[in-house]
Amino acid sequence: MTSKDLVLESATDRTSRFERDALVFTNQLYAAALRYTRNPEDARDLVQDTYLKAFASFHQFEEGTNLRAWLYRVLTTTFINNYRKGQRQPLIADNELEDWQVAEAQSHTSDQGKSAETVALETLPDSDIKRALQEIPEEFRIVVYLADVEGFAYKEIAEIVGAPAGTVMSRLHRGRKQLREKLTDYAKELGYSTDAPAPKKDSKKGGAQ
Amino acid sequence: MSFIEIQCGDVLSSVVFIIEGELQEIPQAEAINSHLSICTACSAEIEHERLMHQMLQDVLRRSCDEQAPEELHQSIHQQMRAQMAGQATTEVVTQFSMTEISIEIDEYGNVEHREIQIEQTHIQHFIDDED
Repeated sequence: MTSKDLVLESATDRTSRFERDALVFTNQLYAAALRYTRNPEDARDLVQDTYLKAFASFHQFEEGTNLRAWLYRVLTTTFINNYRKGQRQPLIADNELEDWQVAEAQSHTSDQGKSAETVALETLPDSDIKRALQEIPEEFRIVVYLADVEGFAYKEIAEIVGAPAGTVMSRLHRGRKQLREKLTDYAKELGYSTDAPAPKKDSKKGGAQ
Repeated sequence: MSFIEIQCGDVLSSVVFIIEGELQEIPQAEAINSHLSICTACSAEIEHERLMHQMLQDVLRRSCDEQAPEELHQSIHQQMRAQMAGQATTEVVTQFSMTEISIEIDEYGNVEHREIQIEQTHIQHFIDDED
């Protein structure tokens, strides 16, 4: 065996490399596609399209850089360009605030509010979590998914979605906030008791107060 | 610059940077840290935010953990093979010419004969060195 220059890599070798390195992400990409498109059929098509595009430009992919992030970029771009089917949501005004200031000044949360959120996150089933995710605006859903499910850092997310880092932070902040509000509302609708005093779950973590 | 007085509200609106461990990215980082060291209400709030974020992340990961259907795995593999067959023409010329020529006849009897892939056979610099 001789070592080969990548430029001269044969189509067969490149295909094997792609199959070995890229196809292991099929489940992950499908799970993301399900959340993006909100239905299994589109999710399947989206993943398939993603792999086709990725494969077609795989020779441009620099080995040693983050393949997973690259695949998510192809997935996300393909979704944004081809799969939105007129379900366009009202435009989100991202840039009303300074980059660092991702949200309007906030006030402290009441103990009751904290308790309600905790109850919601502890008790709601997966189906409600997914429903809440479906209901928040697409721009928010994508960054929350990439950060909290996939664990990408916000600068990576900025590259994946093609938005400035400050915008990503702002969407992340607002997306998480809306998600938590929705979940709290669901829990209230379901009649989970949230009126009891806060169970002080966080105090045993050795907080200074 | 270092004497900016930071209000609770400003600290709380930067919470996402704190949660993400990216506080150093914003110009007020130092002022926020010193505010946090003296304001118990804010540090309790940040503690709560951390806990909520951890819980949110846990439920999201749990509920988004889905497997792709087997047929998707298979069809992706098939696509790769088909594409590869189209690219490694130097090895499989005969196979290639069988599969890639398409002839279409429309309802008016017009015959459309496509040999798009055949034109690619001249791309022969993908030579496999299989010694």
